[in-house]
Amino acid sequence: MPKGYLLMVLHAHLPFVRHPEHEHFLEERWLFEALTECYLPLLKVFEGLVRDGVPFRLTVTLSPTLLSMLCDPLLQERYVAHLGRLLELAEREVHRTCGTPFHPVALMYRELFGECYRRYCYHYQRDLIASFRRLQEAGHLEIITTAATHGYLPLLMLQPQTVRAQIAIAVDTYRRHFGRTPPGFWLPECGYAPGLDDILKEFNLRYFFTDTHGVLFAAHRPRYNVFAPIFAPAGVAAFGRDVESSKQVWSAREGYPGDYDYREFYRDIGFDLDYEYIKPYIHPDGIRIQTGIKYYRITGPTDHKEPYVPEWACNKAAIHAGNFMFNRQHQVRYLAGVMDRPPVVVAPYDAELFGHWWFEGPRWLDFLCRKLAYDQDDLAMITASDYLAAFPCNQKTTPCASSWGNKGYHEVWLCAANDWIWRHLHWAGGRMQELARRHRGADGLLRRALNQAARELLLAQSSDWPFIMATGTAVAYAVRRFKEHIANFLRLDGEIKGGRIDEGFLAWLEHKNNVFPDLNYEVYAGG
Amino acid sequence: MSVLIPWVLGAGVILLLVLAAIFLWLRKPAPKTVTPVVPREELAQELAPPPQQPPAPQDTGRPKEPQLPATYGADRLVLLARDPHWLYAYWEISATRQEEFRATFGHEAWQASRPVLRLYDVTPGEPAPDYLEIAVQEGADNWHIHVGRPDHAFRAEFGRRLPDGRFVPLLVSNVATTPRASLSERTDEEWMWLEELYRAYLRTAAGASSPLLVEEMARRMGALPLTISSPPFTAAR
Repeated sequence: MPKGYLLMVLHAHLPFVRHPEHEHFLEERWLFEALTECYLPLLKVFEGLVRDGVPFRLTVTLSPTLLSMLCDPLLQERYVAHLGRLLELAEREVHRTCGTPFHPVALMYRELFGECYRRYCYHYQRDLIASFRRLQEAGHLEIITTAATHGYLPLLMLQPQTVRAQIAIAVDTYRRHFGRTPPGFWLPECGYAPGLDDILKEFNLRYFFTDTHGVLFAAHRPRYNVFAPIFAPAGVAAFGRDVESSKQVWSAREGYPGDYDYREFYRDIGFDLDYEYIKPYIHPDGIRIQTGIKYYRITGPTDHKEPYVPEWACNKAAIHAGNFMFNRQHQVRYLAGVMDRPPVVVAPYDAELFGHWWFEGPRWLDFLCRKLAYDQDDLAMITASDYLAAFPCNQKTTPCASSWGNKGYHEVWLCAANDWIWRHLHWAGGRMQELARRHRGADGLLRRALNQAARELLLAQSSDWPFIMATGTAVAYAVRRFKEHIANFLRLDGEIKGGRIDEGFLAWLEHKNNVFPDLNYEVYAGG
Repeated sequence: MSVLIPWVLGAGVILLLVLAAIFLWLRKPAPKTVTPVVPREELAQELAPPPQQPPAPQDTGRPKEPQLPATYGADRLVLLARDPHWLYAYWEISATRQEEFRATFGHEAWQASRPVLRLYDVTPGEPAPDYLEIAVQEGADNWHIHVGRPDHAFRAEFGRRLPDGRFVPLLVSNVATTPRASLSERTDEEWMWLEELYRAYLRTAAGASSPLLVEEMARRMGALPLTISSPPFTAAR
């Protein structure tokens, strides 16, 4: 029996970004970049481990909006076209850099993108979800869900029915893709408020994750700090994030991703190269953007950057995996000595950290899983479900309202930059409930309008918009998206109320904002 | 007609000369004002904006950004807990409600009175219905409120204070509870707090092996949660 457990969670989420109205839409690249740099490399790591017979157990969230985008034919088509352009650029780069220290890196990119193209088009046949499903069925991954559009639930709890809808639609989407009920739930941004557990319980969701103080500051002092889950009053388990393991990976300053041998994120040829040369591969309007080809390593705290050396970075990833494992071993050995049960160390990360921000992240994870399997006996990887099966009796108390955002509470989503959104969200939430109650069992055009109104409300509720407004990058896009969805909702609300539904407008919205095609608005009626 | 042509031409030439003179006169002093300026980057950009700015990417071919209504014609006051120390309130008052107010207190009463936000601490078990009153700006429709009371429940009232000092409540909010900011004092009998775990953990945290915990918590909370509000630990030391 191991001395302790490591519960790693990779939370994969992107807001619903799909713009059929424009051929080239900057924000759709969020998905393309995440596919090339995170999701495909992570799947490659998982499949490599399976191929080599390495036992591993990871928890992965696939958000409902991400699932919707991954199986959307238009976005799939556009991604293939995007990869095609990227490959062409990588090919030109191989020739351009011939005889320079950048040449090996250019070769690396050509290989990487080529492999993405082959795997995406031929191996997966564009269906990544199927391969996640296979990994779950083989017992390597435990896939969980999160709120339908990643709504920030603590501030939506003013109207519990709107939270219920976020969860109901998420569970439904999960069932459609994975053929079972999700075992647990990722609270968007780890945002918890008392009462959320009651709603999770209604959907048989057995656990969720909070930040450290979500468990540590519970109403009754938790016996085992964050090294064992607590049961929220409804009987749903809350697992608290471990600070040490988070910080080693997360911290930009002291964390692994800041190592001088790792790839420098901010030096991209989209910005560095001659305009005429790079023009075909950036935005058609001439806006310089990240292409994904970056030639430098972090080098040091200077503006002077040295060329990236793939072998050095790979060595560092191995060293860092060993260091992470060593620290966890040290941690659980110590904790096991003062606890009367094996401690569980909860280490959740945004999946997009791995590969996108931290280019070597997937390699690190690969090394870590292999080392954990073969180089030690103190630690075992575990999922929350496995842990709860082994330790069904846990302390019962109310977790503390919290989030993993800056300062630990709700301020990121409720600050001067975005506080104005809540009056609209709550208004629309109230209206949606009213519409659903008034028009139970609607059919035809009215039903379509009610369903689309629900979609617009859900899309407006995305925690990504206030987050972007608070952080100050791409603010204009977030504000526009928020306003558009609220305005669409208000127009549909008015048309439904007035009994004059504009079918042309409705059809356009159904085409454009086609998330959750099987949604049933009656989820807002309650009771 | 033909007599007019030289006149028209002449007038045209004079006009051109005048315009050229004005142009030159306007241009001339320009270098004077520019040259003495210390070449600071910001100023240089202001004085010489790039000649042709490409249109902003967001504007090309997209419909105008929709405008959302400032009010929805409802009476509502919503209170949200932002963190252990701050609350946020937003509100709106319908025209009907304003009319009722005028009908009751006189036509000038609205202009003569001042908007006030009242905050009641309604924490169960707290002794007095103590309240905080904030004079908000006329026309404001939201407010960030510092209460500095973690783990307390609040209800807000929005109203107007008449010149004679009377407070007229117009809106009542929901109840919002601020989150805890520290370890709980409650260590219930069924589940004793395993003191050893915390004591030893803090010892390592203070030592060389893992200063991360303390540092991280300090950064996030602005305090060291393990050292505050844990009397058993302090006593043990």
